[in-house]
Amino acid sequence: MKFDHDVIVIGGGPAGSTFSRYCAGAGMDILIVDKRKEIGVPVRCGEGLGTREVFAQGLDLPKKCISADIVGAKVVAPNGKEIVWKGKETNGWVLERKFFDKWLCELAVDKGVKVHTYTRATELIRENGTITGVKLSHGGRDPYEVRAPLVVSAEGMESFMARAAGFKTVHSLYDVDTCYQYEMKPYDHQNLIELYFGNELAPRGYVWIFPKSDRKANVGIGVGGNLTNGSKNGGMPGADPKALLEKFISTHPQLKDSSTLIDFGGVISVGAPLDEFVKDNFMVIGTAAKQVDPIHGGGIALAMETSVIAANSAIEAFKKKDFSRKSLLPYETRWKETLGRKVAKRLLLRKVMEKFSDDDLNHIFNNMTDRDLNSVMDGNFAGPVAKVVAGRPQLLKVVSALIS
Amino acid sequence: MITIKHEGCIFCVGCSSVCPASAIEAVGTRMEHYPEKCIDCGLCVKVCPANVITLHKGVKSCAELKGAKA
Repeated sequence: MKFDHDVIVIGGGPAGSTFSRYCAGAGMDILIVDKRKEIGVPVRCGEGLGTREVFAQGLDLPKKCISADIVGAKVVAPNGKEIVWKGKETNGWVLERKFFDKWLCELAVDKGVKVHTYTRATELIRENGTITGVKLSHGGRDPYEVRAPLVVSAEGMESFMARAAGFKTVHSLYDVDTCYQYEMKPYDHQNLIELYFGNELAPRGYVWIFPKSDRKANVGIGVGGNLTNGSKNGGMPGADPKALLEKFISTHPQLKDSSTLIDFGGVISVGAPLDEFVKDNFMVIGTAAKQVDPIHGGGIALAMETSVIAANSAIEAFKKKDFSRKSLLPYETRWKETLGRKVAKRLLLRKVMEKFSDDDLNHIFNNMTDRDLNSVMDGNFAGPVAKVVAGRPQLLKVVSALIS
Repeated sequence: MITIKHEGCIFCVGCSSVCPASAIEAVGTRMEHYPEKCIDCGLCVKVCPANVITLHKGVKSCAELKGAKA
């Protein structure tokens, strides 16, 4: 069979661009298609990113991609008690996502990757049961066929082609957070990410303030998907993310008089990753594979890290001219051994956290230090758990899952 | 059947990420609803952060209407 490319990557976000950059560096012929008119737009994200993965890939982030430097985090309990936490984990940036995504994509183009925007994958092409390409439509025009021995879904939350390939990418309401966010100005920040917890404030979620340049900030809320929009369809009454966010803003001393510059929102995956990431001639990477941190809902760093693992497998498969599931499987195995372990711990933590009442949260915040937060985020739960349970033994049942 | 008030849509594709029937998809600059695939489960209604999707109860789904015609 004659192929047009070695790989077709669906989606030009951080996962698709990073994967393609690495594969093209090894001499593979890659086509990225993105259905959006412009890479990186619309933004539907808090735009936070830790420094670690960017440095690990030897990238030098251009100034225009960075809106603000982050030096730490401030977490706030329902009773107002604050913990400020500065550590290696909290060093990062709030990005200008639309520039960041485009810059990452351009890096791929510099390596020889071909990119087509406003191009939607409408269907997988299967011949004798084997995936051999995709049908593409540019701006709604008649579909045309493009063939490659490997199709990669980096589609993000929708992941329609991954569904078509047989992956269970549909999200349950329990495993998503629904989010609404404003970019607001003025807001005088201290380069800290601010997180506000409380079951009334944000049921099974939190309100965040991410600082941006020029006295701006992303102010957003995430609410458990199964609790959202209760007034309709029997969820939790009043858990309408937009209304709750406005309530928070109206009582915030600084923000209540600020303007909104952008309305955006999204639905974030906070559940477990897919059981499998590869099939014959097909891979799923990034948010499409539900590779998202279940605690903070961040997907960029994981997507970039995953893409390297996935690209290495794809490059090996390319050398062997064998894109079977077996040949691509090292990606899945390596992911589960490394990043998968970390994500599993975070998921466990999320499921424990959602059981806390506001009283529990107040107690925990009263007894925790920034160091404890550090160990919790590193997945070392024993110390902090002992501290918390000492003063509130009834919590043992809830938190024991973390130490068993 | 469901209706989407496109004016308030923030194009977050949350609805399509939870749709078990792949009946909503981002196409161009708006969310496209495919009534013939829709199973009227209402998950999109619940998840929509902008609260712009409505499920009309007691109205036959488009899929049913189509089936009745055939």
